[in-house]
Amino acid sequence: MAKKILIVDDEADIRNTVKTILEKNGYEVVTAINGDDGFKKWKSEKPDLVLMDIMMPGTPVKDVIPKMKGAKVVYISVVRTSEAEREDLMKSSNIKGFIQKPFDINNLVKQVKKFVGK
Amino acid sequence: MTISIKKELDSSQTILLLMSGIEYNKTMVKVVKELSGKSVCYVTSNKTFDSLKETFKKNKVEFKDMVFIDSISKSLKKVPDSADQVYYVSNPGALTELSVVIGKFLRHDFDYLIFDSVTNLNIYNKTPVCIKFINSLVNKIKRSKTKAVFYAVGEKLDELPEHISSIMDRVL
Repeated sequence: MAKKILIVDDEADIRNTVKTILEKNGYEVVTAINGDDGFKKWKSEKPDLVLMDIMMPGTPVKDVIPKMKGAKVVYISVVRTSEAEREDLMKSSNIKGFIQKPFDINNLVKQVKKFVGK
Repeated sequence: MTISIKKELDSSQTILLLMSGIEYNKTMVKVVKELSGKSVCYVTSNKTFDSLKETFKKNKVEFKDMVFIDSISKSLKKVPDSADQVYYVSNPGALTELSVVIGKFLRHDFDYLIFDSVTNLNIYNKTPVCIKFINSLVNKIKRSKTKAVFYAVGEKLDELPEHISSIMDRVL
């Protein structure tokens, strides 16, 4: 059975591009447009991995993540943080990775494979 | 970037500085190095204040005369409304709040304002909203003694930079 990935990003271009590429790589993909939508989809779809934009309109991601107990989340960020801030963000046990935008799509697929396998 | 932003700002009060993503880090350091020593208000919707400090320290940029308005950090971590050298705005979509804070600084006649970046602002706000905001900000700047440089990061002139280029004194 294909592993399921939830992409949470307010940018439609990113959602669609990443969805297409991951589907080509054999993953089942669901998308959400912000943190609140992401939380709802995470509960209903039970994905194996969540790719979550760190800055989106609506409820801040920092407030959504603690509710997603047991989720495996990889942050995707267009904003630049300091090394210390990045380490802090990664402290939460369900945060597994951090990908800086603009990202290399091969690296993204590699990260997804690393966390959920094929 | 071979031009001197300081020289350009001698003859133009508002400049839109276009740069590619690859050039961004080098260019932003060069601009700040040129303007350091003067009073600078740095508005960021791109890097957090801590990340800017880290970049400036790494590149030996003096920033003790700078004040930062950070619209990123509050969404990522717990920060107060203000701390030494920095004012935190809720998020890059809180344009009224951002406008009020920038307005307060403009009343203090800073020498320079750096807006980093209009492109990132556009990620969190629709283009017409950004145009209205930048337009209003440029009008406020025109009524002050402050000179401003607005960054636009991208490979080509997108819709927002294209629209706001007409209200800038100069586009580089």
